[in-house]
Amino acid sequence: MRSKLLMLSFAAICTFFSVAVSGQSYAITNARIVTVSGATIERGTVVVRDGLIHSVGANVSPPADATVFDAAGSTIYPGFIDAASNLGVPAPAAGPGGGGPGGGGGGGGQAAAAAAAAAAQSGSNSNYPAGFRPEVDVLDLIRAGDSQFDANRNAGFTTALSMGRTGIFSGQSAVINLAGNSVSSMTVKAPFAHHISFVTIPGTYPGSLLGTFSALRQIFNDAKRLQEMQRAYAADPKGMRRPETDKSLEALFPVINRQMPVVFSANRELEINRALDFMKEYNLVGIIAGGQEAWKLTDRLKAQNVPVLLSLNFPRRTAAASPDADPETLDILRFRAETPKGPGRLAQAGIKFAFSSGGATSIADYFSGAGKAVEGGLSRDAAIRAMTLGAAEILGVSDRVGSIEAGKIANLVVVKGDLFGRDRFASHVFVDGRLFEQKEQPRPAGPGGRGPGGAAPAAANFGGTYTISIDVPGQPLPATLNLQQQGTAITGTMVSQLGTSPISNGRATGNGFSFSATVQFGGASIDITVQGAVSGANVSGTVDSPQGNIPFTGTRNP
Amino acid sequence: MRKTTVFLTIVSLLMISPTLLVGQSKGDLLIKNATVMTATKGTLEGTDILVQNGKIARIGKGLTAGSGVRTIDATGKYVTPGIIDAHSHAMVSAINEGSLAVTSMTRIDDMLNPSDISIYRALAGGVTGALLLHGSANPIGGQSTTVKFKWGRPVNEFPVAGAPPGIKFALGENVKRSSSTPQPGQTPRYPRTRMGTMEVIRDAFIRAREYKQAWDDFRAKKTRVQPRIDEELQPMVEILEGKRKVHCHGYRSDEHLNILRIAEEFGFKIGTLQHGLEAFKIAPEIAKHGAGVSIFADSWSYKLEAYDSTPYTGYVLWKNGVNVSINSDSAERIRRLNLDAAKMMKYGGVPEQDSLRMITLNPAIQLGIDNRTGSIDVGKDADIAIWSGHPFSSLSLCEMTIIEGEVYFDRAKDKTMREQLAKEKADLEKLEMNRAPGSGGTQPRVPTERDRGHYSHGDEDGGHER
Amino acid sequence: MNQIKISNALKFAFLAAAILVSGIAISAQSDASQQNKIGRAGTFAIVGARIVTVSGAVIENGTVVIRDGKITAVGVGAAIPSGAERIDGKGLSVFPGMIDASTNMGLAEIPQGANATMDVQEVGTMNANAKAITGINPHSSHINVTRVNGITTVLSHPTGGTVSGQGAVINLNGARQEDMAVVPVHSLVINFPRVTGGGGGFGGGGFGGGQQANFNDLIRRRDEAVEDLKKTFREVEAYAKVVEAYQKDKSLPTPTTSLRLEAMIPYVRGQKPIVFTAERERDIRAIAKFVADTKVKGIIVGGQDAWKAADELKKNNIAVIYTNIYGLPVQQDDPYDYLFEAPSKMLAAGVKFSISTGDTGAEARDLPYHAGLAGAYGLGKDEALKAVTLYPAQILGIDDRLGSIEVGKMANVVVADGDLLDPRTNIKYVFIGGRLIPLTSRHTELFDSFKDRK
Repeated sequence: MRSKLLMLSFAAICTFFSVAVSGQSYAITNARIVTVSGATIERGTVVVRDGLIHSVGANVSPPADATVFDAAGSTIYPGFIDAASNLGVPAPAAGPGGGGPGGGGGGGGQAAAAAAAAAAQSGSNSNYPAGFRPEVDVLDLIRAGDSQFDANRNAGFTTALSMGRTGIFSGQSAVINLAGNSVSSMTVKAPFAHHISFVTIPGTYPGSLLGTFSALRQIFNDAKRLQEMQRAYAADPKGMRRPETDKSLEALFPVINRQMPVVFSANRELEINRALDFMKEYNLVGIIAGGQEAWKLTDRLKAQNVPVLLSLNFPRRTAAASPDADPETLDILRFRAETPKGPGRLAQAGIKFAFSSGGATSIADYFSGAGKAVEGGLSRDAAIRAMTLGAAEILGVSDRVGSIEAGKIANLVVVKGDLFGRDRFASHVFVDGRLFEQKEQPRPAGPGGRGPGGAAPAAANFGGTYTISIDVPGQPLPATLNLQQQGTAITGTMVSQLGTSPISNGRATGNGFSFSATVQFGGASIDITVQGAVSGANVSGTVDSPQGNIPFTGTRNP
Repeated sequence: MRKTTVFLTIVSLLMISPTLLVGQSKGDLLIKNATVMTATKGTLEGTDILVQNGKIARIGKGLTAGSGVRTIDATGKYVTPGIIDAHSHAMVSAINEGSLAVTSMTRIDDMLNPSDISIYRALAGGVTGALLLHGSANPIGGQSTTVKFKWGRPVNEFPVAGAPPGIKFALGENVKRSSSTPQPGQTPRYPRTRMGTMEVIRDAFIRAREYKQAWDDFRAKKTRVQPRIDEELQPMVEILEGKRKVHCHGYRSDEHLNILRIAEEFGFKIGTLQHGLEAFKIAPEIAKHGAGVSIFADSWSYKLEAYDSTPYTGYVLWKNGVNVSINSDSAERIRRLNLDAAKMMKYGGVPEQDSLRMITLNPAIQLGIDNRTGSIDVGKDADIAIWSGHPFSSLSLCEMTIIEGEVYFDRAKDKTMREQLAKEKADLEKLEMNRAPGSGGTQPRVPTERDRGHYSHGDEDGGHER
Repeated sequence: MNQIKISNALKFAFLAAAILVSGIAISAQSDASQQNKIGRAGTFAIVGARIVTVSGAVIENGTVVIRDGKITAVGVGAAIPSGAERIDGKGLSVFPGMIDASTNMGLAEIPQGANATMDVQEVGTMNANAKAITGINPHSSHINVTRVNGITTVLSHPTGGTVSGQGAVINLNGARQEDMAVVPVHSLVINFPRVTGGGGGFGGGGFGGGQQANFNDLIRRRDEAVEDLKKTFREVEAYAKVVEAYQKDKSLPTPTTSLRLEAMIPYVRGQKPIVFTAERERDIRAIAKFVADTKVKGIIVGGQDAWKAADELKKNNIAVIYTNIYGLPVQQDDPYDYLFEAPSKMLAAGVKFSISTGDTGAEARDLPYHAGLAGAYGLGKDEALKAVTLYPAQILGIDDRLGSIEVGKMANVVVADGDLLDPRTNIKYVFIGGRLIPLTSRHTELFDSFKDRK
């Protein structure tokens, strides 16, 4: 098992070296440049050098050593920022479920997620139960590697706030760039904030939402007191019992001193109200993540100066219709209808907000959500700002990213077509000045047919059972794929000696399928992405893991 | 108490002076020609009630209001104080923190959900206020909240300002987890017996005393380091100081007597004994202690400790001079507390006004809000229910419910709104985001079953995290 | 619970067990003793009362004579037999005893935490042969508590499974099951299969929470259960044919007796009514179709949406025993009075119905207030009263004997000082089968024991 992991690592290292070329500079010419921070340049050039934006303007000439891209007809935007994501943080082993960022409701996967969190932190000497440990640092959870970010980066994302996935305290988050071979090189700002979700810790205190609030109060009380005691002891230790060292409580010092914000995951009015109450009670610098009903509370948000990391994962009906089912409630019907109008209302009320993917299963949902927000009354400029500089401001990195200005980090995206339309295509993405180029043809059709060519081709059915062999060097790994296809969505399992993994994000592509899964490998969870091309009874493709790409071949069982 | 009333009357007289009222229309109303059951001064026929600025300004005949003030013709109708339920879990998102035996740190206040449909349904039964309690999963539960059901208003307007804080205690079957069997290998939560229950409570008070001492020492500068602010013990200290009312769930008389004795041992008074299905056995002791009792009118036999009960409990307690209220502890029963009060006339023969008080003034007293609500008296909040006939007749229904002069339920309006809401729903269902996916899709909602028996009607706060 | 010696408790079954467990000996003894008070037979004349006959006009200042268990005279100035015990009816009203057409009376004493007192549901899904009359505890404390509030007759039936068993129409009086029986084996209860998250059935408690079952599985389970039911009906037909043929011709092979199938014969053949539990329109329509297809006599119990399926119910002559009007509207968006108004909607739609508590037993005494609530919400007082007297008698097919104050009917008669449906009203006299019932119960005895304690 271990030897396999080592081999995978070797493969990964090779991949990185083949991509990176030092000293490279680029010039993108003849493009429309949406700087966000200043006026849009209708036709101009952006020069990238040494990972930074070297120059930008209508009259800028490409340096002699630069690789030049003629981007006539395209638009350059600052790289998009996902203002609340779990990018880079492995999913809990038990599969999907349990609200992601601002996911709000997810009750189902909660227990499993908590169990996974407990396992991940079992080595802790904290006085607090797993899921209630503010000292958890998301940088310790994030994994390095480019490929895990492919889908997001190919869509134009260069930066994200990365948060833990589980627990009441889900860990201190970090702003990361979506490329890099080490976590340290990816990190833009860390720690950014503490994160609190109104969930419970099954099987112990707090086992109910009621207890969650009480437990939060106590830990904040105790953190304040510990800080005071430590100061007093530092000033004069004689005659005073030595205050304890408690890394859980100490992790909260920056928060109680208002040096670090606390992000509360809260979608519905009720939750947001509770979060605002708590911020007020403990005088916290607060941010709301999710915030889909924040528009109902603009007065409070304004009075408390609380920005919103607004989820574009807009609610929509997913339940199948059945005459045997209970009807949906007016409350939920209204919620779904009103949510896309929220961003426009927040903008009108002058609330600071940024867009986040909010745990959406497909990054395409982010753009369709932004488009709906525009339809719902938000100006296009405001929408683009919420994807770039607006997010950078809330995340405290607007001096580095979020706009196209000389001297800033070269996080850029070159987009063909309408940003909010179905013909949107990001041809070039720069992360820290590194170029990721994307060819238009092989891009799989997204859900709802948001493919580059417009409407999705009528997808063939790739459902069925496949027997495959994954070419792990020296030790081929047999596996079985059980896939079911409905529309272009694919569900099912992947079975191998590493166990049975449910698949997620499954899609039918033009000539095959793609999906994600998490496998257990030597005690660790590894996220993989599988792309397969089906040709008659044969299938071939790649398994993309953080350690590199491995090909597979196999047959489709009759 | 009397002094307060006099004072409030003076205040209200000042308030209705014309100069102060200029430009005020919020909470102004005139109810004309009603049969008014005041709960304090008998029943007044053909009487008007003038409400100004949310308060009852005048009660009498031939009253007039300024132009623009809504006038309700209540000819042939009955008016009562709004009903107050001294044991409810309406609008509470989570009611039990069952992981620990003592959860005094929890606050129902954190869990208020102002869009819970239970609120509206309660209003439609003439209920204007309630004591929202933690469940009965543990000997010492969480801190309670006293609210008025201001449906449609922001959540922070629900709690009654100035209402004394409370806390839930619980004894008996639920606390000792009678109906749950520990899993193999799982240590059952202490206590599992009624003996242990009393010890948990006693222990918490002793810890609270010591905690208080630590703070007293610190404040007296005897110690250098500030003690911890303990969310669990702080409310316990407030109980010892007589600032927080204990509302103690229990069934058997011996248990309720024991909690009275513990209170006496620690020098405070129990606010209410909740449920008290056997309170009729210890009525003199309760009267002597000075606790109120909040009962079900006549629920019984749904569990073992509810078997030795009688609907005459209200009468026996009343006869012994105990302040009795009738509660619902149920989203269902809260809608028919008027009929529960009527039963007090039947079982033993409590007089009409005293029966009415059991769902109005008496719970207001138990909640410590009788200075502002619970009866139709000048100076009090205009918390009012209007009935199609005598509220004790099962053939009457609530037509209108008013809180502080604002109409929160109006049956006529409700009926006209139905079509409108149905149309809105039909329109919303057509929108893209509300349409079912063309194929596949997640699980739809399994049909909800109607509660058909009365299994759960007696004690909705049961022992489980509900 | 295990240490209790059940042998001593056999005679008083669940009650005694419950009492031993709860350790409430004093009141229990007195309670047990009074349970056998079956009242006093005799000839009685209620004179000068307001007589609410229900079937006919109200008679002011009239007389009702009760003799040999029956009502022998009703009217103004009716002759009073010599030796009759005279009851002054001045200021009082006479009503027929109320009938609760869906309860578990005597089968369920303490639902929560005292399983030993519960006899409502057998193991398995097809339990046609389980008969309530053999499980009813004549000494259940619920019986006296109920009858002193004017309810004199109930249908008590088992629940759960698909075919739950057979219900009994009983009078709430008698030291033995057979003394109580009006119709000892009255109707078959079928918990008609439906899409449900679990539990299900009468008092089934509904969906426990947490993991939702797969919806398609639930539909499949429902459809399979309906098929099972149909198959069982076919088996009953086949079985009946074999048995009958054998009875005519003993040379045929001797059939193997099946108690379960045997019990269903009169129901499958439409000779006796089947009580189907159902709430939702969809399920009620499914039952109507089932009734039409199988040509059985059907009654719906539950029936929250019955008015919506009025056409099908009328066409197939299906009446509704509407239960527990106190329940909460099932859907959040339902009007607040959805269940309160259902009876008036059934009336308007021409559906035959009665009002029932649907209670296990302890709270069946609230039957008049269930009716009153329907009365307030559009049904009106007169229809509300009929819905707990004459209508249930008609639906249960016992209106030749019960349900109204008429000469020749069984003397289940209640005398009250006011409107029967008003909670302030006091019941002054209760006659069941012509016996004058003592107005005592577990409740009055507990009251008497403690009311004067200083």
